[in-house]
Amino acid sequence: MDIANAQLEFRNFNFYYGKFHALKNINFRMARHTVTAFIGPSGCGKSTLLRTINRMYDLYPDQRAEGELLFDGRNLLASDIDVSILRAKIGMVFQKPTPFPMSIYDNIAFGVRLHEKLSVAEMDERVEWALRKAALWEEVKDKLKQSGMSLSGGQQQRLCIARGIAVKPEVLLLDEPTSALDPISTSRIEELVDELKKEFTIVIVTHNMQQAARISDYTAYMYLGEMVEFGVTDELFLKPKRKETEDYITGRFG
Amino acid sequence: MTKLGDRLFSGVARSFAVLTLVLLAGIIVALTVASWPSIQAYGIGFLFSPEWNPPMEKFGALVPVYGTLVTALIALVIAVPVSFGIALFLTELSPRWLRRPLGTAIELLAAIPSIVYGMWGLLVFAPIFAQYVQPALQNTLGHLPLIGRLFAGPPLGIGLLCAGVILAIMIIPYIASVMRDVFEVTPAMLKESAYGLGCTTWEVVWRVVLPYTKTGVVGGVMLGLGRALGETMAVTFVIGNTNFLSTASLFAPGNSITSALANEFAEADPGLHTAALMELGLILFVITLCVLVVSKLLLQRLSKGEGGRS
Repeated sequence: MDIANAQLEFRNFNFYYGKFHALKNINFRMARHTVTAFIGPSGCGKSTLLRTINRMYDLYPDQRAEGELLFDGRNLLASDIDVSILRAKIGMVFQKPTPFPMSIYDNIAFGVRLHEKLSVAEMDERVEWALRKAALWEEVKDKLKQSGMSLSGGQQQRLCIARGIAVKPEVLLLDEPTSALDPISTSRIEELVDELKKEFTIVIVTHNMQQAARISDYTAYMYLGEMVEFGVTDELFLKPKRKETEDYITGRFG
Repeated sequence: MTKLGDRLFSGVARSFAVLTLVLLAGIIVALTVASWPSIQAYGIGFLFSPEWNPPMEKFGALVPVYGTLVTALIALVIAVPVSFGIALFLTELSPRWLRRPLGTAIELLAAIPSIVYGMWGLLVFAPIFAQYVQPALQNTLGHLPLIGRLFAGPPLGIGLLCAGVILAIMIIPYIASVMRDVFEVTPAMLKESAYGLGCTTWEVVWRVVLPYTKTGVVGGVMLGLGRALGETMAVTFVIGNTNFLSTASLFAPGNSITSALANEFAEADPGLHTAALMELGLILFVITLCVLVVSKLLLQRLSKGEGGRS
C-alpha cells in the first residue's frame, strides 16, 4: 500500500516517556486531505502518536522522540523547527471541550491574533468563516459576545474545532473529540469531519471502531506501542491482514 | 437518635457562624462608642485635617490615612508583578526538582515575625536603600515630569517608600502562594489547547491561565492588601513616625494608622486623644471593608467582561 503525495510521514519513529518505550518503530504515511484514524485499546499509544505531530510533548521534559517525522519533506523533530509556527499549521482538538474563559468571538480570534494582524472587518469575516466551517454560525451568530463557556458541550467542541481551523492550518489533529459528547452531538461532529477533509488533512484518535469505520479513509490499529496494521479503512475492517487486528475489530479482544 | 445528632450539629455550627457576626458587630459598636467624643468634636473634618497635635488637642486623620493607603499601594505595585512572576516560574518554567524547595522557601517568608522584618528594615535595609536605591531612583524616575516629584528630597532611607517596600516583601509570600495554587489547578488540557494554537508560555499564562483563575488571583491580592493595610510593627520601624506632611515625595517620612496607634495608645490621655485614636481604628476598619466591597465589584465586572457564565 503506497500513498503518493504524502504530507506526513513517520520513519523509524520511536517515543519514550522517561525510560518507558511507548512507541516502537513506527513507519507510515498520511496523504493530503484524507482522514486517518488511530484505533486500539487504551494505553496502546494512539494518543501519544497524535501528540507527537504538533510536538505537544515538548512541554514535558522527560518525553522524547527519535527517528523522523516528515511534514512536507521537513523533519519536524529537528531542533530548528519553530514550534509556534508549526502549531499554527497543525491544529488540535482535545477529548473534552476546552473553551477559553472569554467570549465566543474572542475564542476564535485568539489564535488568529497570535499569527496574523487583521483589521476588524477582516477578523469579523474570519470568525464567521471559521464558525460556518464548524457548523456553529447559525447557533451563535446572535451571541458572539457571550462567554464560550455558556454553550452546550457539543457546541463547545465545535467552537474548539472552529478555533483550530480559524488559524488556517493544514492538518487537524482530533484526540477522541466525541468521547465526552452525546450521540447527536457526536454525529454532528462526524458530519463535520467529512466536510472538513476537503480542506484539511485530518488525523483522529478514537476508541469507537464504528466511528473510525464511518469517517476515516485510512486506519491504523495500534497495540502496545506498535502499529500492528495500517491500511485503507474498508480493507482493514473487512479483510484485516493480521490476526490481531481481526480479533480486535470483531470484539474478541480489547 | 441521628436526627437529634444532626440537629445538634447544625445548631452548633450555626452558633459559630452567628458568633462571628456578633463579634463583628461588637467591635463596630465598641469602636464607635469609644471614638464618639472625637466624632462629635471634629465631625467629617477629622478625615481631612493634616494636624495631629496631642498637647493642643488638635487631631486630624489625614497624615496616617494617607500613609496607610500609600504604603499599601506601593506594596501592591511591587508585590503583585513579582508574585505573578514567582507563580509563573513555579508552575510553568521551573524544573520539577526545584519546585518544592523554592515554594517552601517562599512560604517560609510568611513565617518570619513582623518585628524581625521591622528591625531588619531599619538596621540593614534602610541604610542600603538610602545609599544606593534612592539616589538611583532620583537620577532616573526623578527627572520625569509629574511623577518625578514622588522621588524628590533627601534620601533618608526610612520613609513611606521604604515602608512600602518592606510591606511588599511581607505580602509576596501570601500573594505568590495563592497564585501558584490557583495556577496549578488550571486543567492541563486547557493550557495545551492554547499551546496547540502556537502560544508561547507567556501568552498561555497571561491570556488563558490568568483569566481562568482571576477569582483566585484577585482573592490572593486582596489577602495581601488586607495584610499590608493592617501591618503594624514592621511599618512602625521604618515609616519615620512623623505627623507632618509637607511634600508629595515618597522619600519623606510619614505615619500610618497602625503606627500611630502603636506609638501613642499607651501614653494617650483619656479623653479626646484616646477617642481620636479610636476613630483612627474605626477608619481602618472602614477602609478594609471598602477594599472587600471593591474586590467583589471588580470580580463582577471581570466576569461581565468575558460575557458571563450562564
